[in-house]
Amino acid sequence: MRRIDRRSTWVFHLNSGSCNGCDIEVLNMFAPRQDAERLGVKLVGSPLHADVIVFTGPVTLQALPYVIRALEASAGAVAVLACGSCACGGGIWHDTYNVVGGIDKLYEILKERGIPRPPTVYVPGCPPKPEAMLYGLMLARGLARQKQRKQVYVEEAREK
Amino acid sequence: MVASRIAFISEIKKKPVTEQYPYKPISVPEGFRGKPVIDPEKCIGCGACVNACPPGALSIYDEGNYRVVKLFLGRCIFCGRCQDVCPMGAVRLTDMFELASLSRDDLVQEVRLLLEKCSLCGKAFATRREVRHVEEKLDPEQRWLAHLCPRCRALVSAKMIGYARGCNR
Repeated sequence: MRRIDRRSTWVFHLNSGSCNGCDIEVLNMFAPRQDAERLGVKLVGSPLHADVIVFTGPVTLQALPYVIRALEASAGAVAVLACGSCACGGGIWHDTYNVVGGIDKLYEILKERGIPRPPTVYVPGCPPKPEAMLYGLMLARGLARQKQRKQVYVEEAREK
Repeated sequence: MVASRIAFISEIKKKPVTEQYPYKPISVPEGFRGKPVIDPEKCIGCGACVNACPPGALSIYDEGNYRVVKLFLGRCIFCGRCQDVCPMGAVRLTDMFELASLSRDDLVQEVRLLLEKCSLCGKAFATRREVRHVEEKLDPEQRWLAHLCPRCRALVSAKMIGYARGCNR
């Protein structure tokens, strides 16, 4: 992720069969209120030009061949931003018959085709706030510190 | 002419609507449903939230001496039903939204609670906190029943009814 430190982040929005909730929030990110373009983030129309791929949706079987083609074409992409709960772990569709179920299962399919796993930023939310996506982009660029950590609590045995 | 000039002046006096977000923190609206957090001191491991969770982000399973309540944020849809059904008020939706993380493991919260063993057959059946919670609601002379697993409790109750009716078998 060093390469995107120095220059503007160009993002390509890849919808893999999402409900359009996350997609509206991705567009909101570029609207006047959040205005990601003041940070150099630009929405581009081809995966060839993209530094970061904004990935939404649980990867439906109909979208799967096109998603694979788009990810194969994204030669210059250095990170994938998995936006929304569907992309992170399948969301509410995790056990449905017609979806692959999240980006990690998509990576397993890509591995069989010899495509390495790109560095991924998981942005949970249903949909995530545009600010949460901006924070994820900043995390991918190395400009923000990660706040979310794994928490484990173990109850200790006490005398009754 | 004058009206348009007044409109122009009032327009240029307005501040831009753009938030300075990554540099300045923003406030979330009231009632915003952000990251759900389980208070590990209050949780009794009853599993009501697991039943209510629509996408199955919460799961419950036994591992060794512990019952594990596991919350995977990467599947959570932030509906708040876990907060509604929790009998102890342990699950709460906070206003945190900056949940982006570089690995999937960071999106997990685990609460490990000690299991209680049945005083007759020795099988683990519920968490200690859950048994204590039930005990407090029972009459003092019935409290020993809370320490039995459901199967043993049914057997013991059936035997007691049998004795009360006078059959010895």
